[in-house]
Amino acid sequence: MMSASMPFTEHLTGSSGDEPVQEVALAVRGVNFYYGSHHALHDISLDFPARCVTAMIGPSGCGKSTLLRIFNKMYDLYPGQRATGEVMFDGRNILDDSISLDMLRARIGMVFQKPTPFPMSIYENIAFGVRLHEKLSRTAMDERVQDVLTRVALWNEVRDRLHAPATGLSGGQQQRLCIARSIATRPEVLLLDEPTSALDPISTARIEELLDELKEEFTIVVVTHNMQQAARCADQVAFFYLGRLVEMDTADRIFTNPRQKQTQDYITGRFG
Amino acid sequence: MNNVESTSFMMARDCWRPSRKAMWRRLCNNCATGASVAAGSVLLLVLVSILWTLLRRGLEGLSWATLTHTMGPPGSGGGLANAIIGSLIQTGLALLMAAPVGLMCGIYLSEYGRKGNYFASGVRFVADVLMSAPSILIGLFIYQLLVVPMGHFSGFAGALALAVLALPLIVRTTEDMLRLVPTAMREAGAALGAARWRVIIFLCLRSARKGVLTGILLALARMGGETAPLLFTSLGNQTMSTAMNRPMASLPIAIYQYAGASYEDWVQLAWTGALLVTFGVLLINITVRLSSRH
Repeated sequence: MMSASMPFTEHLTGSSGDEPVQEVALAVRGVNFYYGSHHALHDISLDFPARCVTAMIGPSGCGKSTLLRIFNKMYDLYPGQRATGEVMFDGRNILDDSISLDMLRARIGMVFQKPTPFPMSIYENIAFGVRLHEKLSRTAMDERVQDVLTRVALWNEVRDRLHAPATGLSGGQQQRLCIARSIATRPEVLLLDEPTSALDPISTARIEELLDELKEEFTIVVVTHNMQQAARCADQVAFFYLGRLVEMDTADRIFTNPRQKQTQDYITGRFG
Repeated sequence: MNNVESTSFMMARDCWRPSRKAMWRRLCNNCATGASVAAGSVLLLVLVSILWTLLRRGLEGLSWATLTHTMGPPGSGGGLANAIIGSLIQTGLALLMAAPVGLMCGIYLSEYGRKGNYFASGVRFVADVLMSAPSILIGLFIYQLLVVPMGHFSGFAGALALAVLALPLIVRTTEDMLRLVPTAMREAGAALGAARWRVIIFLCLRSARKGVLTGILLALARMGGETAPLLFTSLGNQTMSTAMNRPMASLPIAIYQYAGASYEDWVQLAWTGALLVTFGVLLINITVRLSSRH
């Protein structure tokens, strides 16, 4: 189980003979994570290919959300939480203390489980994040807002009430607004922590469609409890159990022919 | 088929009839509900009775002269103008002192003083103690602190006493309201790359603004009706004075002085003053209700 992560990396390089070499957006090497004295992630190593959707699955408490929150150093908000190892992004180890958090978070965006609209208008929700990193003219900002809202398929629904409070939107609309807000700062990686678990099936389907379109441009990492969702949207799937990476492979293989028995048991619903 | 249906119907009738125990429970329920409604009515009756008495006794003396003339000797046709102005100045100044400090302290407790921070727990405890401290003690404290060294009573000392009274209220409501802001909001702000101060001011404080404002307005209402902290600090004044380093009149003190007097026109002024204070406080409370609804 411990060494399960290594064969995968070999598998990637091994299988690259007949496929073009996949560009890697995030390379995780030997990452451990601690909540105080609790050792939550054990020696995780895996690659996140660029412009692909990678789903992280596993039972509650397996560490998938913890790993996701390492990528934008969310744990930095909480004293007592720390990560060791290496996460290479654009040639730098982001776990270094010298990394600028503002810069990192502008380039690696995050969407949360529950929609978190800010207490301001729809327009301001998007402009808030943009203004932190760029000085745009009014027209440029208007264009940026329209652009991201169009890409999350929200523009037609909100074009007449851009200056109305964002809290007046439905849950699904709020979540799409949050995705728009995250991509408005033009990140390269988008992290999504169970983005549809608080939404109804129709809103969920729309978010899933959206992920399919967004992966043309962004590297997407999504944590999900929903196996069907992982099968539908993901190119790669990583299965975690008890703080360890059990297996990572293409979605097809994980769901049809996993190499580990634990993965097989989990996806067939025998535990978890 | 007929047979089966009729027996099951009979059984159903029997078990659907309320048992004696259920009847007893229903009776108890009705009694408790009745008692609760009666208790509620008593409270309402007290308030209505106070308001009614105030209106009946206070409205008689409410005239333009009451609002524009200063206090004067009995029979001279004095009003309450200096007391009204004094109250406005003192509560206003007290709010200007207490609100910024209270807000910042509340922000500190909620955003930086979570569990494990002994200094913050100490501050929180002191705020709670101060909130329930008798207001006359606060008056005596400022008397010792300011009035004795200065050698005379002053409007500033009165404002300071009111500020001390309002401070813990503002601190605790600000903290409580900020704690209601979900952690997800703070994380979402940080995830965009926003600095902590930006998250606190533009996201947390902004989403808690109704509650925070409510706390400040309630503190204002509390200050407007307090007499005890002013007795030893601003003392009261018969003439119009807006100098902060001199004794200053206020409505609660005027009521205190006039209500027990043996001159009819003074007693009338006390009633009118009480009416003004009550309606001022009521107005603030109604504003709070309306603002927290929308």
